[in-house]
Amino acid sequence: MTPSANGPGSAGSRAAEIFPVLARWFLGGMFLYMGLSKALHPVEFLKLVRQYDLLQHHLLLNFVSSTLPWFEIFCGLLLLLGVAVRGAAVMLVAMLVPFTLAVLFRALEIHGAGNIAFCAIKFDCGCGAGEVLICRKLAENILLTGLSGALIFWRTHRLCLRNSLSRMPSSATTSN
Amino acid sequence: MRMAKTVVVEALAVAALGVAFALAANALSPRGLQLNRNYFPQAAGSSLAATPATNSTVMTAATGATHTPSAAAQRLQQRGLQLVTSNQVAELFRDPRYEQGLVVFIDARDDQHYTAGHIPGAWQFYHYRADDYLPAVLPACMAALQIVVYCAGGECEDSEFATIMLRDAGVPRETLFVYVGGITEWKANGLPVETGPRRSGQLLPTTP
Repeated sequence: MTPSANGPGSAGSRAAEIFPVLARWFLGGMFLYMGLSKALHPVEFLKLVRQYDLLQHHLLLNFVSSTLPWFEIFCGLLLLLGVAVRGAAVMLVAMLVPFTLAVLFRALEIHGAGNIAFCAIKFDCGCGAGEVLICRKLAENILLTGLSGALIFWRTHRLCLRNSLSRMPSSATTSN
Repeated sequence: MRMAKTVVVEALAVAALGVAFALAANALSPRGLQLNRNYFPQAAGSSLAATPATNSTVMTAATGATHTPSAAAQRLQQRGLQLVTSNQVAELFRDPRYEQGLVVFIDARDDQHYTAGHIPGAWQFYHYRADDYLPAVLPACMAALQIVVYCAGGECEDSEFATIMLRDAGVPRETLFVYVGGITEWKANGLPVETGPRRSGQLLPTTP
């Protein structure tokens, strides 16, 4: 790369600064929307969580169904505002990975039960977007997990209220 | 290493604050769930679930026609719930005791579906918000000799949970019956459907 290409005003440099912000806003917006759509219809979400048959005790089922949508809203707001970005991104990964596996196993179960092509399987996975084609949902979740993972490592303070709860000296080097 | 530790600590802080926020939001939300309530009573080892299938009852159809129970009907029978067929439900609807309140229909679906169309005169009992409906529904059920509980039909389980909840609220078990076919079968049979609130008098045109 030429020095001009890496200069402060170059297109590559600007893209490197803007992309993490866009990714953060995209993730924040997605989680805010998905969380709200579940929080506004908690009974429907409760029924969908029950379908996974992973939580046997009603206390656990109620706890997950009632807190998860609001937790997603909380993390979405943190990302949109740029507060505790890496901590919120870790929580997104912690939600997305087990949920994606649960969706995958449920789809495999349906696939095994009937003669239906895997990518033709469609059901309401409780993601907040109604019935979805499962291959598309899995691809979407992999993308969201990848972006969340990237947010953990990207260190940019651009348009963040408080990027980190702690004041790390190393992060100040990339602050804008 | 230090950065990893910082990120983990921050994630734990987000988790703790997020859970606190979520619990508070759920408690304040008018649509919030009650954490200690079992919304699916049979799943927690209800006494009905332990009732042998031989104790179950299917009302004998006046026509004497044989009835092959669906998977849902078989499941309900195994849980000791009494069932009614579509013929029996139609007869109960025309029974003079219905107007006297001795036969009661209970719609176990949510507001949106109930308002869109229910069996004329049916009470709504959306068991997920039991406290909102029980004060009106319970006296009607206690006075009735036969209570038919239904939901959408097919794989819908809400009629089953509503029946168990009514039984647990003190309604005599022998008066409670589940209509497995639900509103879908009712409509398919060309029977009248009322829209809006109970006893609105607004009937949808029947399509036999």
